[in-house]
Amino acid sequence: MSATNLDVKGANAVAGWLAAAETRASAAHEPEWMLKRRRHAAQVAASMPFPSREDELWRRSDFSALPIDSLDASASPPRARNVDDLPAAVVERLAGEAAKAALLVQRDGDVVLEQTHPTLQKQGVVVCSMERAMREHAGLLQEHFGAQLATDYDRWVAIGEALRTGGVFVHVPKGVHAELPVRLFQWIDGGRRLVAPRTVIAVGEQGSLTVLDEMLSESAEEPSLHAGGIELSVGRGGKLTFASLQDWSRNVFHYGNARAQVGADAELQWIQVMVGGRMNKQHIWFDMAGQGAQAFVHGFMFGDHRQHFHLHTLQRHLAPNCTSDLLIKGCLKDRARSVYQGLIQVAEGAQRTDAYQANRNLLLSDQARADSIPGLEILANDVRCTHGATLGHVDPEQLYYLTARGLPRAEAQRLIVEAFFEPVIERVPLESVRERLRAEIARKLG
Amino acid sequence: MSTSPEMDLRDGYAEKYGFHDDEQSVFKSRKGLDADIVRQISKLKDEPQWMLDYRLKALEIFEKKPLPTWGGNVAEIDFQDIYYYVKPTSEEAKSWDDVPEDMKRTFDKLGIPEAEQKFLAGVGAQYDSEVVYHKIKESLEKQGVIFLSADHGLKEHPELFKQYFGTIIPSSDNKFAALNSAVWSGGSFIYVPKGVKVDVPLQAYFRINTKDMGQFERTLIIVDEDAYVHYVEGCTAPIYSSDSLHSAVVEIVVKKGGRCRYTTIQNWSNNVYNLVTKRAVAYENATMEWVDGNLGSKLTMKYPAVYMMEPGAHGEILSIAFAGRGQHQDAGAKVVHCAPNTSSKIISKSISKDGGRAGYRGLVKVQKGAVDSRSTVNCDALILDEESRSDTYPYMEIEEDRVSIGHEATVSKIGDEQVFYLMSRGIGEEEAAAMIVSGFIEPIVKELPMEYAVEMNRLIQLQMEGSVG
Repeated sequence: MSATNLDVKGANAVAGWLAAAETRASAAHEPEWMLKRRRHAAQVAASMPFPSREDELWRRSDFSALPIDSLDASASPPRARNVDDLPAAVVERLAGEAAKAALLVQRDGDVVLEQTHPTLQKQGVVVCSMERAMREHAGLLQEHFGAQLATDYDRWVAIGEALRTGGVFVHVPKGVHAELPVRLFQWIDGGRRLVAPRTVIAVGEQGSLTVLDEMLSESAEEPSLHAGGIELSVGRGGKLTFASLQDWSRNVFHYGNARAQVGADAELQWIQVMVGGRMNKQHIWFDMAGQGAQAFVHGFMFGDHRQHFHLHTLQRHLAPNCTSDLLIKGCLKDRARSVYQGLIQVAEGAQRTDAYQANRNLLLSDQARADSIPGLEILANDVRCTHGATLGHVDPEQLYYLTARGLPRAEAQRLIVEAFFEPVIERVPLESVRERLRAEIARKLG
Repeated sequence: MSTSPEMDLRDGYAEKYGFHDDEQSVFKSRKGLDADIVRQISKLKDEPQWMLDYRLKALEIFEKKPLPTWGGNVAEIDFQDIYYYVKPTSEEAKSWDDVPEDMKRTFDKLGIPEAEQKFLAGVGAQYDSEVVYHKIKESLEKQGVIFLSADHGLKEHPELFKQYFGTIIPSSDNKFAALNSAVWSGGSFIYVPKGVKVDVPLQAYFRINTKDMGQFERTLIIVDEDAYVHYVEGCTAPIYSSDSLHSAVVEIVVKKGGRCRYTTIQNWSNNVYNLVTKRAVAYENATMEWVDGNLGSKLTMKYPAVYMMEPGAHGEILSIAFAGRGQHQDAGAKVVHCAPNTSSKIISKSISKDGGRAGYRGLVKVQKGAVDSRSTVNCDALILDEESRSDTYPYMEIEEDRVSIGHEATVSKIGDEQVFYLMSRGIGEEEAAAMIVSGFIEPIVKELPMEYAVEMNRLIQLQMEGSVG
């Protein structure tokens, strides 16, 4: 593997971050097991190069424009006493509904507000910062932290774990149906930030939970990088709805890794929305780990100007009788670019798998570019695995139909694009959030 | 049909194709590859200087390029343990009677002369590194159709040959194209003049006889404006304990309004690495069709391509892959839309059985400016038992908005209801399974010339024997 631009530029920066992280973690009196994990991750990070364009998953997304040596991994944000201390954009998103959910806000490298809810507290649902979890729920956290996201997956993941800044732990006990949603916010204050939180969510057997994870930031000239990790698990018969809503400002580079493990007869509903940021790369693995597990994934990317989106999904069927159903939509304006790279893997013995994967792309400009790479690797025979991908422009017949009814062309196109996204938006929890997304799409359509 | 559940997937191959003649080559290079071997091949062929230079440059590229890390496992190929050039006879025969006895017996067994008499417009037969027999119908020759071995093409039509050779697939395209460019020998050279329609197929037959042999044929087909040709190739080899390498390069140019169909029935023995680069360019309103059947080989990596260079060009690829025990068929297709109003269609059917691995790897690319391009891809896979594997890796790269691109793929097993339905009508279980597989590949088989369709169905039935235990 050849050394990338990042390897050269980042050599000193990475060493500096790792050293600072070690000092900070010791000063914060983190438990020994976590310090050990960090040190191990730092060793792994030091031993490998950054992924390069020679890697299949990096051929189409180039992070070399990231000024890695200018990033600061230790910006410390002001604490918030209550919702009013939060950035205005976050307050606006809460739409006056802050009291109807457990709320946890991460600002740059730290969680600045933890506001759980009496109802959830009564139910025994844990919603807290990673720092608090290390102190108060060490056993539970240790069971789930790092259980799925391998430290050596790539150098970014290793760095992310070694210098982990903030993060969240959510736990739903066995048999508990969390009555209110959990809302997570990630906020970046400006340019030159490196933020690497870890989100760990575990739903116990027969439990259920809804989580919204919203990403926002202050506009800035200089780039920032968000390199977070997410680990979700749903126990036997449980249900988790997880909505990842990414709306960074245009200076943010994003490379996230998410892993979700769905147990026997459990159900995962995942909603993935990517509209913001400059260079966005997200890898999501769905492990169908127990018989009868089900995962339903709905997502969209909407790019304009020179935005770049890259979504990689992996549906891994490790047990028999599981279902996974994935629909990813992409819409591109101007010179935006999207890459969807998906794979269904059916392991030996995972008989009676029913797996579906669809990627639909709408191109609104002749300068836009969309790549679609859906794949199948099937090692069992009694299966039904199907994937489909389409790429095209707005259907002229639909346009004609609408304009024939007196709608101006631009308006007709807007309607068609909105209708294209609607099946995904419908899946998003909370009406106020759906409305916000619809407004964002309308704004982007101009 | 046999009822033995233990029967090997490719049982029957040994008797029909697996024999080998005693080796009686007139020249055999030493094993291994270096500049001296390349010089030796070129000298023996009495080639012009430019070809030697081309070969040596390609050798350098080959040595520099890394092995592909995707697709099948090619790491076990020992490039120094291969004979790169084996000349079986001193002269290429024009008449069947002049073909040396043992080779004639080989091709007689394979049914070549018979086929020629019956329905072919021309036949070429390659044995190891050289074409040993070549014949074209006189009427076609009179119309200016050229059908020669590539070596004779270079000698007899040096200008035409040089004009196109290596222009569709440069030696730097990939490691195996570079290897072929360095040591190529044999293959066909075809030119069909303006407006000439060759209404019966031209055929080439490729046979590897020598153990540890590499066959590197090179085919160049030029279809001039409004002309038509259908070229059919078949390949077999004896079964040896060590592996052979077949690495061909096929370049095709289809000019304005022309049409070319290229049909391959690949039935190499299970110890052949089949790593082939095939690419065609189609100009205004021209049509290129690849019909690619892969039944044999240990590992096949082959993705026939069509580049649509001018408006109205059309590309079509029909691919069948059948992988049995110990086989990996990494088959596929590539279509590249470089001009407006071009269209393409890919249909792939793959079947895996007895632990075999079959798949589709493909690319649909629409370049900037290729507005109103249309492409559809359909991939279906059948997995016949739980040890076998199927892969689908389609790539779509679209740089235009006014296009319509669709891809669909399905992987499944033989439906229990389908088998039950046939059995309830008195058909045995095994036969029912074979019928379902025949039905599965029907959309492709029906595109083959009659004789080949029959042969293909027979091969599939052979492969299906013993499939239901």
